[in-house]
Amino acid sequence: MDQWIIASEFAEVAVSLDTEANGPRLRLTDLRGGRVRYLDALELEALAWLPDERMRELLDPSAGRWSDGRRDG
Amino acid sequence: MTVQYSELIQPERVHGSLYTDPSIFAEELDRIWYRTWVCVGHASEVARPGDYVRKKVAAQDVIMTRSTDGEISLLLNRCAHRGNLVCEDERGNSGSFRCPYHGWTYRNTGEMLGYPYNQGYGGKGKLSLGLGRVPRVDTYQGFVFASFAADGPSLKEHLGAAAGELDRLARLSPEGEVELTAGWLKHRAKANWKLLVENETDGYHPQFVHGSVFSVTGSHIGNLYSDKSTAVTRDLGGGHSENDLRPEFRRMGTPMTWFGTSEAKVPEYVAKMRELHGKQAEEILIEGAPHVMVFPNLFVAEISVFMIQPTAVDETVQNVTAVQLKGAPEMNRRLLSQCVGSVGPAGMLLADDSEMYERNQRGMAARMPEWLDIRRGVGRERVDENGFRVGAANDETGMRGFWSHYRSLMEREDAR
Ligand code: FES
Ligand SMILES: [Fe+2]
Repeated sequence: MDQWIIASEFAEVAVSLDTEANGPRLRLTDLRGGRVRYLDALELEALAWLPDERMRELLDPSAGRWSDGRRDG
Repeated sequence: MTVQYSELIQPERVHGSLYTDPSIFAEELDRIWYRTWVCVGHASEVARPGDYVRKKVAAQDVIMTRSTDGEISLLLNRCAHRGNLVCEDERGNSGSFRCPYHGWTYRNTGEMLGYPYNQGYGGKGKLSLGLGRVPRVDTYQGFVFASFAADGPSLKEHLGAAAGELDRLARLSPEGEVELTAGWLKHRAKANWKLLVENETDGYHPQFVHGSVFSVTGSHIGNLYSDKSTAVTRDLGGGHSENDLRPEFRRMGTPMTWFGTSEAKVPEYVAKMRELHGKQAEEILIEGAPHVMVFPNLFVAEISVFMIQPTAVDETVQNVTAVQLKGAPEMNRRLLSQCVGSVGPAGMLLADDSEMYERNQRGMAARMPEWLDIRRGVGRERVDENGFRVGAANDETGMRGFWSHYRSLMEREDAR
């Protein structure tokens, strides 16, 4: 299985093509946090078309991994 | 204590304390380095969106970035939360930066994207904070300049006649573009920054200090600075100066002599330039690259580019890289090896010069005679057809131009 590491001083993620399922998927592993996520073709397409504004929201640490578990007022 | 610069800087001599007094160095930071235009890097170092490199403007740690819309920003490397360094690596690609201390996250334009556990701040988007941005950023021929003053002369005004020298460098590329992509060497010298600046267009020392290199390599450079040379030292105004060697190269009249080579060695390049420029190609190939000191810190020495960074009154880092010409791979290999040979870790020219800078600084610890002499060639200076003051190749015309501009900046009352 070919694997690439996409790394910067801020994050390190392993990326590989997963063929275990009924169709191909991209497998992401956060090498610092251990979390694994699969992305299918449609999800990748959505990411490719994601407006920059939405990507910026995803980069907000409180948007996911480091949220208080409460909705913003 | 108020320093009287008009007493320390006289037409034919300058006082030694200008190189050794820490309070003068502190004033220089305010009045020159954090005010006027200072060269930080080159656009080709951040060619693609998300690229970033760390740079210095004197003591300021700066991140040069290119955003998704292609804009170059200079951000101060200091988290808006509690002041941590945000970027550690010398270079990388990341559209956003996350501070390692508490995770505050910024776009590479400096804009805040968020912070962890935002309820402690009353929710999302509650802080109108971001990374500091250098107030003015502008580029010329890809060279990126910073000014910490919100207003003042434009970069074009600051560069004045020196802009033409950067044009002269760029036109050597078949695509009209310089690239500084060969990586940087950092040379630390225990010497005041002005000793380096003055030395860059001092045509008096090469035959002395670099004599052994010239004799070993059979280089003709020494002759260009002899008393018989038709080359000139030119005060370009604004503190900029050059050693204009073109009169000698024109006299020799052979393409690529400026580069110490012949056209047979770089046939593809020469052919490409002739195809592109027709008749004018001969002039370009004969005249070659400039030898210009752009106030206060950009030095183009034909094949190498230097960016001078002061770190203390008696310490300066000289950042050096090879000129690379877009679309000229044949030249670029040679430019790189010539640059390494002259200013690389085992390079011969910069090693000689560094020894002189440091000896100068040590010598000035002696209390007398107090002054440094800058009068060489005063009696044979003339004004050229463009109104610039010129001296002989080995005269101190460039230094005098530097000091008169330096004095005008340091004396300005509105500086504080
Ligand atoms: S200092 Fe940067 S997040 Fe706290
Ligand atoms: Fe701790």
